[in-house]
Amino acid sequence: MALKSMRSAINGASAGFRRQRLALFFAAVAAFFLIPWGGLVAGQTSARTGANSPRRELTDEIGRKVEIPREVNRVVSLAPNLTEIVFALGDGNRLAGDTDFCDYPAEALQKPHVGGPVNPNLEEIVALMPDLVLATKSINRRETVNALDRIGLPVYVTGEPHSVEEMISSVEHLGSALGMEESAAMVAKNLRGRLAELDRRLSGAVPRRVLFVVWTDPLISVGRGTFIADALRRAGAESVVDTNEEWPHVSMEDIVRLQPEALVFASAHAGDTQRDIDALRTRPGWKDLDAIQHGNIVVVSEAINRPAPRMVDAIERLAGALHPEAFRSASGTGFSLWQLFFAEANPHRLKPVPHEEACACAR
Amino acid sequence: MRPLTLRRLLWTCGGLAVLLLASVILALKLGAVPVSVTDLVIDLGRIAIGRANELPTEYRLIVFDLRLPRILLGILVGAALSVAGASFQALLRNPLADPYVLGVSSGAALGSILALILAPQFALVTPVGAFLGAIGAIAGVYFLGRREGQLDSTTLLLGGIISASFFSAIIMFLMTTLAGRDLRGMVFWLMGDLSTPVSSGMQWIFTVGLLAGIGAIYSTSADLNLLLTGEREATHLGVDVTRVKLVVYVSASLLTALAVSASGAIGYVGLLVPHAVRLIFGSDYRLLIPASALCGAIAIVLADTLARTIVPPTELPVGAMTAMAGAPVFIYLLRRGLR
Repeated sequence: MALKSMRSAINGASAGFRRQRLALFFAAVAAFFLIPWGGLVAGQTSARTGANSPRRELTDEIGRKVEIPREVNRVVSLAPNLTEIVFALGDGNRLAGDTDFCDYPAEALQKPHVGGPVNPNLEEIVALMPDLVLATKSINRRETVNALDRIGLPVYVTGEPHSVEEMISSVEHLGSALGMEESAAMVAKNLRGRLAELDRRLSGAVPRRVLFVVWTDPLISVGRGTFIADALRRAGAESVVDTNEEWPHVSMEDIVRLQPEALVFASAHAGDTQRDIDALRTRPGWKDLDAIQHGNIVVVSEAINRPAPRMVDAIERLAGALHPEAFRSASGTGFSLWQLFFAEANPHRLKPVPHEEACACAR
Repeated sequence: MRPLTLRRLLWTCGGLAVLLLASVILALKLGAVPVSVTDLVIDLGRIAIGRANELPTEYRLIVFDLRLPRILLGILVGAALSVAGASFQALLRNPLADPYVLGVSSGAALGSILALILAPQFALVTPVGAFLGAIGAIAGVYFLGRREGQLDSTTLLLGGIISASFFSAIIMFLMTTLAGRDLRGMVFWLMGDLSTPVSSGMQWIFTVGLLAGIGAIYSTSADLNLLLTGEREATHLGVDVTRVKLVVYVSASLLTALAVSASGAIGYVGLLVPHAVRLIFGSDYRLLIPASALCGAIAIVLADTLARTIVPPTELPVGAMTAMAGAPVFIYLLRRGLR
């Protein structure tokens, strides 16, 4: 259509001026666009074959074939949980860069940042000259992975974890991608051992019916397929929200009807969460919840939101808070976390259990 | 107004092309890795003669494999949106027409999302879907804007804005009901974003489509001048109004669809640029079309450079930058038009 009308316009023009003008205009525009692009297309093919170090091929968790150097010395992580896993494997020095949201461990904050996980700055990533880029299907965009692919940077993508076990197998996969199979096996063994111990202790316990609060305005909880729902199960709890949706917006009416035994919040800043919860006590809907009236509220570390080894710490603490009786005999101290969180309506007692306290009984 | 001569046309376009080249070099220079202008010019020369292999790898990857394709894409998108805006302004005889304001961009976005859902296995599905969506949207808005056989300016704009919000609502519905896999990408793309490179096959399709679309519109530019006086008057002066309108509607929709499928809905470029060009160079469409294409390219290249570098290392979507500049100008034009 367009071409036909162009031709008819050129043929139909009586003045030579018009034809000449059109031709000149198009020649100039075409030259402007085509010259640099021709050069680029020619240059691109060689960019991929430029690698001279020995390589090996492996398949990542979403089924892509990735060719990575035998020795991976510089890694850029595009997600906070991947950053944590690299540190947990014991070699944070290999991490050349991470995202603005990578806040754990403290060394992660010192690394050069490449922007947010959703819109990282591709130039910054390349400038860090990584041997391998780590991404996850859960937060990173497929477009980012494709773009890095196209310029020849190897990207290992982890899948979206649906259980704590899948998080642990991600640790093992990343261990083999980074050539750190041994430390990955050790980390995995430790985590699995701790989870088995939890299972043993909680074997007789009746699961507590809880509401896991991802967000209060609007109220968002977790669906049954998420790793958080699995973490709750591991900690001897079950979510009152049971849906296929991953991060469902839940109506307050449903929650009042379901009356969870306890509310579980995840927080990095106990003070902020405490203020939020104080505000909820007077809100319609919330104030009708037995859990709010009796102060049955557990605040765990936000590590439970992140599929990384530290998540198991949070699971242990949550289990200790929900089922203190299962841990009392072992620790011998007789203190009750359940009482700490449940018997008291006093908001000032509301704080995450200190790490050592909770883990002392679980380990 | 001074008559348009070949000499003036070439001088204007040449001058703007030099400006565009300067902004490309500026855009190439700024970013995560700073580069000196002299090196850039030398290296561009090397690439032009096909000796890109002599450049250091990381530097070449960043500047020529990431930055340059993005800039070239920005040129295409800017040129396409500006020419589409200028064409819609002539056809609808409405200075406030713009692919974004008229809902054509949203229609194209909806079309490409629908196409992606229905037939994700075909590579060409997004531009084709975007094209159909753009055509559908402009047809719908055109009929919404007709009252008693005449195009009514206010009704037309309202029709466009309402269509845009209707399409956005459907997009929102599709994104919430369908599996969340592509959601993050979509949200970003909807805001208007150049950070995602397109494949090299697509680059050629965009280039060819852009040249064909602009060429087709340019071939009608003399008729568009006459059409500005009114459809009946243009018919009396020997213009085949139906043909011109068809060519320009289809081409402008094609241009919008190409721009949207490459970069999402970048707003207000098609409004701002033709206005600026009219103020400076006059409203002869034979000059307005090429000058708008070049100025639109300059505008997007500069806006995207700003979006890339304003809060490093985070990147803003370029649509945010153009809307920040464009929305106030739209209101100004609207107020001025009302008086």
